Amino acid sequence: MALEPEMILIVGYVVIGGLLASLGAHLLPVGGAPAAMGTATGVATGTVQLMFGAVMTGLFTSSTVSSFSNNIWLVAISGAVGAAIMITVVMFMANIMYVFGCGIVPVSGRVAVDPITKEPQTPYKTPQTDGHGVPNVVFISGTMGGFVGGFGGGLMYFALLFYANFTYVTAAIAALSIFLANAILAAYNIRGTTEGLYDPKFKRLPKALVSSLAISVLAGIVVLLATIGLPQGGI
Amino acid sequence: MLVVELLFAWMLVIAFLAFIACTFEDLESDVGSQSNPNSQVQLAAQVGQVHRFFNKAISGEPLSNAMYCTVAGTTAWILLQKLEPIVPDAKWKAAVVAIPLGVAVAAMIHIIFSITAHCGRTAGQKRFEQPIYLDVLYGHLLPIATHGFMTTFCITSIAYIQSNLGTLAGDPRLNHPFALPLLAFIWGITVGAIGSSTGDIHYGTEREFQDRPFGEGKRVVYHGKITRYAECGVRTQKDIVGFCAKFGGPCTGLTFGLIILFENYRTLIGMELARFLPVLPADLPFVPDVHFATAAGNMSAVWGIVVGLFIIAALLVGNMVFVRWVRKKYGPFVGA
Amino acid sequence: MTVTPAVVEEEEVTAPKKGLSFKFPFAETELGLIAGILAAIITIFTGLPAVIKAVGMLLAFVWGADSVRKTSKYGLGTGVPSIGVLGIGYGVIGALMGLAFARYGSVEGIFYPAVLIGVLFMGGIGLVSGYFSNNEKFIAMKIPRLERAMMELGMAGTLVILLQFSIVTGSLRFDAVVDQVMDTGVIAFMFILSCMGMFHPYNACLGPDERRERTLMLSLEISGLISIILGFAMIVLGTSPFGLWDPIALIVFGVIVWVVFYRRFIKACMKECYATVGTGLIKTIG
Repeated sequence: MALEPEMILIVGYVVIGGLLASLGAHLLPVGGAPAAMGTATGVATGTVQLMFGAVMTGLFTSSTVSSFSNNIWLVAISGAVGAAIMITVVMFMANIMYVFGCGIVPVSGRVAVDPITKEPQTPYKTPQTDGHGVPNVVFISGTMGGFVGGFGGGLMYFALLFYANFTYVTAAIAALSIFLANAILAAYNIRGTTEGLYDPKFKRLPKALVSSLAISVLAGIVVLLATIGLPQGGI
Repeated sequence: MLVVELLFAWMLVIAFLAFIACTFEDLESDVGSQSNPNSQVQLAAQVGQVHRFFNKAISGEPLSNAMYCTVAGTTAWILLQKLEPIVPDAKWKAAVVAIPLGVAVAAMIHIIFSITAHCGRTAGQKRFEQPIYLDVLYGHLLPIATHGFMTTFCITSIAYIQSNLGTLAGDPRLNHPFALPLLAFIWGITVGAIGSSTGDIHYGTEREFQDRPFGEGKRVVYHGKITRYAECGVRTQKDIVGFCAKFGGPCTGLTFGLIILFENYRTLIGMELARFLPVLPADLPFVPDVHFATAAGNMSAVWGIVVGLFIIAALLVGNMVFVRWVRKKYGPFVGA
Repeated sequence: MTVTPAVVEEEEVTAPKKGLSFKFPFAETELGLIAGILAAIITIFTGLPAVIKAVGMLLAFVWGADSVRKTSKYGLGTGVPSIGVLGIGYGVIGALMGLAFARYGSVEGIFYPAVLIGVLFMGGIGLVSGYFSNNEKFIAMKIPRLERAMMELGMAGTLVILLQFSIVTGSLRFDAVVDQVMDTGVIAFMFILSCMGMFHPYNACLGPDERRERTLMLSLEISGLISIILGFAMIVLGTSPFGLWDPIALIVFGVIVWVVFYRRFIKACMKECYATVGTGLIKTIG
């Protein structure tokens, strides 16, 4: 296939998608193993796993929408909303579990006063822990993370589907692979637990973004070359 | 002839199956200790606490569940390819045979991986004097497989229904564009991510440290010192699953059920509101084509997004109200 | 299937045993070189029977699992699985790229040298990501030789995925792969089981007394399982140029590899752990 100007868009969208994946992973409140013991704030699972689950939910809706719509923004935002719904329901139910199952009040370990609702945090915290549950400040950051990550995933998926002429399944798997690589690099940058936007670790974001940029540009070039190298008529 | 009521009915069936799937997914990760709370089981031997837990460290829950569901989906797909031509008029007969058989294969693979994980991890802890108890190893395999069977069966059924949703409701053009194994993979990942992030809390925070004070986060000094004695005798994973089945499992199931319900509901409601549904566009292709779009299709995406944003906003506000209520009820930390 | 002639079985029995006797003593570098080169050669020649491709896949899995092992020894901060998934994620992208270039210099259905472009490119991406992950100025993971391990993972992942494509479709034509692997959804199976083959060995054997030979046995066992199911997929798709014997030989090969290494692994674990007891109370009581 000859190089057409709009194919450059593939690289652009893949790079944006990769950067958003990295940003989304940094925004998610991830408690990892300590959160499962109520020793750290956030959702009791790893960054990659949570991001993966959210984006998968988003991708499902994205693909449904892409079968009757060809607007990239509608498809991407559908994915974003899907991922955000997944994250919000999970965080809400995790709170219910902490409160009614374990008798723990959701408390942030990184901020003394909730910057959004102005509720005090420190008096409610168990000593020798790093906070527990999903307090409001973390909840909002997580919703943003899910939205941003899902948007990135949907954008990448649609770019591969629409501009690179991949089939539905091929586009999904390729978008997923690129997304995963970026999310995993972000997870290495976070190292364990984070509370999202108000966590000191969020300041490490630019380092992951640079790495993510490099990887995404290369991955975008790979997809572009694959599209060009294809036999005539697309896949 | 498309029957819209059937579409909604199948959506509710999917949500119900999702509820069952995730309930059993959480219990499956309790009956063989997996994912994040398993770090404590792993740590226990290192801090000198030899235990009789089943260390099922296959991987994180999303990936392991995706594996069972994908194996089941792939096997079911293989069988469907062979069986469907035999009964071309009633393809559901092929599905009734293919899905349980595929899930049975997945259950066998599940057992194989469970054994290697338990034996491998225990052998890797030689210096901490943690033996392999054969009764623990063999006694847990069947509960693990049966709990996994339930999850995998429901997820494979969801994948089958979704990849044939249009056919079941009367118009094959509404089938989901992804193939059955890929849908099983997607929902396997999601069910694992939810089971690991919601259900583990009840097992990790409460049941693993049940002899510690209730109502506080578990302090770092407790880590590894898990509760090793049951109501009677030495605790194994089988004592844990009964406890978690009363709250952790159903709660986790509700999470996944709600997610599936919201996701499908807002898409269908969007299609309905945009007048895309009762009469599909005449030129809608049989094989989904990304370059095809109608104004009604775009509008249904917009409506879907609007409904979704409402759900997110409701949950945000709900969490704020909930957390405020809990803080007032429970009060500040009063322990030592 | 019960009528499988004994001849086929005998042929296949020799392959894994030979592998075991002279592969494991190799150090990491030698294993990587030998497995990589052999797997690459087998990848190029798609006219070979599926069993030989399965041997190549097995080698690539051992290589990948070894890379995961030497990286994860130092602690990644997010669990072992992430690095295996990273490798297969790169592998899928690399395989797509390799397939796009497969037709250059190829002999239809037999010889596709250009797919290795994808492998090399993925090695490059792995190197870059390893550099960024390890460099002080960026993510600063400070894991010795992470660059090389990530490069090896990208290459091993690409080889694994390409070999599985080649097993299932019998060729490396892009449209065949899209029709028979992607759109049928078999790719999901390949993706997740390849991830398992990469990271499950080290994840399952993690601990201070982990032993390399034992860990790598597990990776061979998983490739046996993959061969079995891919064999059934081949029967359904009917893509093999050698007819029905090709998938059946693959299934038999998979069963043999699986039985041999599974038994060895379990026996090794039971022998090498602190003690294997039928039952018993925990140390503090009795």
